[in-house]
Amino acid sequence: MKLVECDNLTKRIYGNNALDGITFTLHENKITGLIGRNGAGKTTLMKILAGYWRETSGTVKVFSERPFQNLIVSANAIYVDDQMTFHQSLTLGDILEEAERFYPNWDKGLAERLFDYFSFHPKSKHDALSKGRKSTFNMIIGLASKCKLTLFDEPTTGMDASVRKDFYRALLKDYLAHPRSIIISSHHLEEIEDVLEEIILIDEGKVFLYQSMDELKEYAQGISGKTDILKPLLDDVEVIYKTEIGAGNTYAVVRANSPVIEQARQYGMAIGPVAPNDLCIYLTAKHKGGIDDVFK
Amino acid sequence: MVIDPNSGKPIYIQIAEWIETEILNGNFETDDKVYSQYQLAEMFTINPATAAKGLNVLTEENILYGKRGLGKFVTKEAKKIITNKRKNGKLKALLEEVALEAERLDVSDEELFDMLRKAIAKREGE
Repeated sequence: MKLVECDNLTKRIYGNNALDGITFTLHENKITGLIGRNGAGKTTLMKILAGYWRETSGTVKVFSERPFQNLIVSANAIYVDDQMTFHQSLTLGDILEEAERFYPNWDKGLAERLFDYFSFHPKSKHDALSKGRKSTFNMIIGLASKCKLTLFDEPTTGMDASVRKDFYRALLKDYLAHPRSIIISSHHLEEIEDVLEEIILIDEGKVFLYQSMDELKEYAQGISGKTDILKPLLDDVEVIYKTEIGAGNTYAVVRANSPVIEQARQYGMAIGPVAPNDLCIYLTAKHKGGIDDVFK
Repeated sequence: MVIDPNSGKPIYIQIAEWIETEILNGNFETDDKVYSQYQLAEMFTINPATAAKGLNVLTEENILYGKRGLGKFVTKEAKKIITNKRKNGKLKALLEEVALEAERLDVSDEELFDMLRKAIAKREGE
């Protein structure tokens, strides 16, 4: 079933198109990664899907409803980020109780087990938690609410490496037990890629790439070889990324179906896969040589 | 851990290869049921769709067969198919890499054969 449908969705914020005519359809019960650079439009998209913000033009449907100020969407979707605010008078224990009243599918047992596992104290105040602890607590709310649509916006902000690892595993185990739609934005693609089924790469308010994780892994290949041989080969093909390494060596990233790869192989050049995280950076880079262009 | 996120090899291929190795090692015999996509997802903390893709690759290659609603099982021919595939695929690729590295290091054919013989002898001695 279709979970999210966006057609030419646009959001203007202070005269800028934060989303610039986004069109895509998401099917339910998948874990989807929302990837993009800072300011690409990830948060804007998630807040519109959660019904927090109104679209400027185009159409957006979640559970076949327009999400903005929609009761069905607000009861069945949760948006989790590090700005989540709760009423100041509530302790962490109170928040869990209130969440149970609000979310019909609330999993009390899971919430309590996670709460104990991460050594939270019911009398603590949310405001007094450190950045990483806040993220950890918010993650508990996000998982235990068991909403049909769960939106995690940079859920691991401030978490240490071991908590992040616990989070990904908790997310996956809970998803296996209760399949539902989960959208996660993250700057740590290398950490979450294994649990993702598909990714949406956003750049400058547009959907740049929407693929399964496996397709993304086979999207490109990296070639390294002598510049004077490799450079002429690259003249007529699409080059995703290119940089010079050491004296007279070049590393280039091209599409996996590019004819250059076979030619390079015959010259005995090293050919290897490109990590999805690097690939996303290369694909959305403004300058093909990266930061090195600044120092030329 | 069998899953190496840095290998660049798609995870579903790594899953398929891991199950193949389990079959070669005799941990799964003919007509044994292998892990389900959900068990694999849980074991390796990967998306169940990825695990399913790994199982499907093996089914297409006639290494596994499906029984509707019951799961995937090892075919009679599984071991033979895997052995042939690895000889022509993995082993060949490894040898090509060896040949390239030998050329870079200016290792003569005789020297290379000698090294290979020693490596084999060492394994047999273990």
